[in-house]
Amino acid sequence: MDEWQNLEVGQEFETGTLTLSKRDILEFAAEFDPQPYHLEAEAAEASIFGGLCASGWQVCALMTRLVSDTFKDQGIAIQGIQTIPNMQWKIPVFAEDILCATVAIADCNRDSQLLVCDIRVRNQHQKIALTLSMTLRIAAPQSAPQSAPQSAVRSTDL
Amino acid sequence: MKNSEFIRSRWFEDIPVGEFHVFGSHSFTEKEIIEFGKKYSPETFHTSPEAAFDSEYRGLVAAELHLAAIWMKLMVDYMERFATGVQDGRRNGAGVSVRDMQWFKPVRPGHTITFTYEICEKLDRRVRDKWGIIRSRNEGFNQNNERVFSFEIDILAELAPTVKPTAER
Repeated sequence: MDEWQNLEVGQEFETGTLTLSKRDILEFAAEFDPQPYHLEAEAAEASIFGGLCASGWQVCALMTRLVSDTFKDQGIAIQGIQTIPNMQWKIPVFAEDILCATVAIADCNRDSQLLVCDIRVRNQHQKIALTLSMTLRIAAPQSAPQSAPQSAVRSTDL
Repeated sequence: MKNSEFIRSRWFEDIPVGEFHVFGSHSFTEKEIIEFGKKYSPETFHTSPEAAFDSEYRGLVAAELHLAAIWMKLMVDYMERFATGVQDGRRNGAGVSVRDMQWFKPVRPGHTITFTYEICEKLDRRVRDKWGIIRSRNEGFNQNNERVFSFEIDILAELAPTVKPTAER
């Protein structure tokens, strides 16, 4: 996959959308982040978040899914995350929130095969829930032909 | 829980800069690496041992955010065991921001990662006059003592209750 050779700094992609169910939130929390505000409605309402909300790490992991699917649709194969230089959680993500992200190409180094993206994840009210900068490693260009990219807009199925 | 009377949660003021702990270890299994990969990072080197063999990793590796999720799991365990007697979910740990998160080496099935943290700074900033912000440096090392993962995180810690000012007399 060498479509990324065509990427330009400043270019932006809209990812697909992803709806987070209460079950998704509880399952992730039970396995990775069993704190009351991610597990129990009552405790969550009394917390700083004001209601049962997803672990920040789940939101971050979902972001990687949205980005991965979007680049795949563009014919770009991610080989891994090198760094997240900075990331901020802005507002909680609640059950049934619909997330999508804007991925802006901040730098594209073809020699080192590194792609720096500025990413904003927002909910259905267009409020930004997560912002970050992320450096991705991209597969070396290959000469093998690729299938045509699919639509950039899609809904992700967990 | 009766014991909770004797476990006082730590306030912001109680947490010393320089505190260092080796707070937990986790052995990654092939099954959990694939499960996490399928949900969150569906590149073949996270989801298929066979296809992963043809990737640059030459085998299955854990998704980057899987490391962060396991860090969180072990940190919650640790907070409950040692640092606080968290009862109400209000006092500890909501994350604000992350800096310099880096992955240095792949984590493969069977690898055991041990995590450390060090409190490196207490920020001056206050949130809603109720929370302070604690910055910690966190690292993960594999079974060969090679660093595989590191980052800094700012989390909220509740301020100790103060005697009401004289205006309320």
